[in-house]
Amino acid sequence: MTGIVARLRRKLDARTDLGAVLPTGWPALTAAELMRRPVLTEGGEPATVGDLFDVTGAPSGTITFQGNLGRADRLAAGLAEGQVVVEGSVGDEAGLGMSGGVLDVNGDAGARTGGAAGEARRGMTGGEIVVRGNTGGEPGLRMRRGLLVVTGNVAGQAGAGMIAGTVLVFGDAGPSPGRWSKRGSIVALGKVAIPPTYRYACTYQPDHLRLTLLRLRARYGLGVDERFVAGFYRRYSGDLAELGKGEILAWTAE
Amino acid sequence: MNIRNVHIEDTFAEAFTMRVARLIITGRNVRWAREAALKLTGFATSVIGCKCEAAIERELPAGETPDGRPGFSILFMTMSKDDLPKRLIERVGQTVLTCPTTACFDGMPDAPDRVGVGSALRFFGDGFQASKMIGGQRFWRIPVMEGEFLVQEKFGMIKGIGGGNFLMLARSADAALEAAEAAAEAMSGRAGVILPFPGGVVRSGSKVGSRRIKSMIASTNDAFCPTLRGITETQLPEGVNSVLEIVINGTDAEAISAAMRAGIDAACRDGVVAITAGNYGGKLGPHHFHLRKIMAATA
Repeated sequence: MTGIVARLRRKLDARTDLGAVLPTGWPALTAAELMRRPVLTEGGEPATVGDLFDVTGAPSGTITFQGNLGRADRLAAGLAEGQVVVEGSVGDEAGLGMSGGVLDVNGDAGARTGGAAGEARRGMTGGEIVVRGNTGGEPGLRMRRGLLVVTGNVAGQAGAGMIAGTVLVFGDAGPSPGRWSKRGSIVALGKVAIPPTYRYACTYQPDHLRLTLLRLRARYGLGVDERFVAGFYRRYSGDLAELGKGEILAWTAE
Repeated sequence: MNIRNVHIEDTFAEAFTMRVARLIITGRNVRWAREAALKLTGFATSVIGCKCEAAIERELPAGETPDGRPGFSILFMTMSKDDLPKRLIERVGQTVLTCPTTACFDGMPDAPDRVGVGSALRFFGDGFQASKMIGGQRFWRIPVMEGEFLVQEKFGMIKGIGGGNFLMLARSADAALEAAEAAAEAMSGRAGVILPFPGGVVRSGSKVGSRRIKSMIASTNDAFCPTLRGITETQLPEGVNSVLEIVINGTDAEAISAAMRAGIDAACRDGVVAITAGNYGGKLGPHHFHLRKIMAATA
């Protein structure tokens, strides 16, 4: 394993906000510098990364988090560069408002992954998030650009209020995908419930999707079945309650 | 220097700096990718009359293209960097956008100079076009009657070389053609090189200007026309009755030299008297390909 490794020292007792751990320029920070980055704990005293993690290794543009981070929120929030790997699950709002780089979660992610903070107008504006598991609700909330991939299921409201970008779900896309989407793409390789504010357009083979799926194979080693790469998709235009330039692309075996 | 009894003249080909883009055209199958590639590179033999020079560089198997479909790589060249996007927009718009099942990608992703192609063609979408960022590159999805045309927003542009050449001086037209076919075959499918003329071969080599019409920038190379021996200052040796030329463009001098070496070697066969090259005294083009230096490795 290369780069920096942050190993959780003990189980998190309370929800912990890691939103300030990876500031702009973080790939150049040493292990010691990263250990001094602040974290917020629910109802607790101010703390640092070093209070919770053993951090080792040398800067290389990659940081790997080890341990159960299911109660750690906002990991890689505002990420602009570099690669963040999580060997396990993460809490809510991972990759919140990120603008670049890669967040690769080898587990589940909580709600609003790649989304927007409270009143913020935009969620992620660039970069790529791969969740090799399930996510909570509202992944890609108000995202403006970028790619969010969920290999498992989404709890619901995928890509709510998307401005643009792509949310790609291998499993069950959950209820109400793409609500209030302006130009975003929701790609459903599994089960998907098309909202009434989307209108069927056609069944075709989108070239751009082939490109994206091949990239997921090559860049992330995802086992994308050939039937998805070379397959047909039902395109639904929407959200017609909004701009209507978005789409849901639902893979079809027919 | 002689190679298999063919005299290699002590001269050089004089070539010019051009701007180059590499396009990768893919399609549902080889047939449709080829249709678009041939249309795109049609009427693109010489900047003198076509404003650009282009040809298929090589056929690409599905595993070598961005979208995993069969395709062709094309080198597309103009004299100026301002011309390159203009010609690309015209030609991609008329020949690839229009061709069923095809998509068009940049084949020089690492080139720092970028020219907009999809960024202009997108307007055909009349506001219904959509863009996607994939792997850090922007692509345009232009809705068409068939479905969607996918084209990359920008294409890499580098400095290349156009006008590498050699002439095969043969005892007969048949011998010249056989030598030219063998040379073109040996030079085809190489990375970084194209032969923009029909079948890679030129029968109408030109000289700069005209004896009679001042406005003409090129006219027949009378010194190498066998029918004019005796009435012009011929450069044809005794026994030569036909001459054909191979013109080579490429991304760099090494690729062109390697292709010329293979082509000249293939052209040295029965019926060929000599191999020479076209130049302008070395005053016009900055790139000089000396035949004997190139062939020294195989002589």
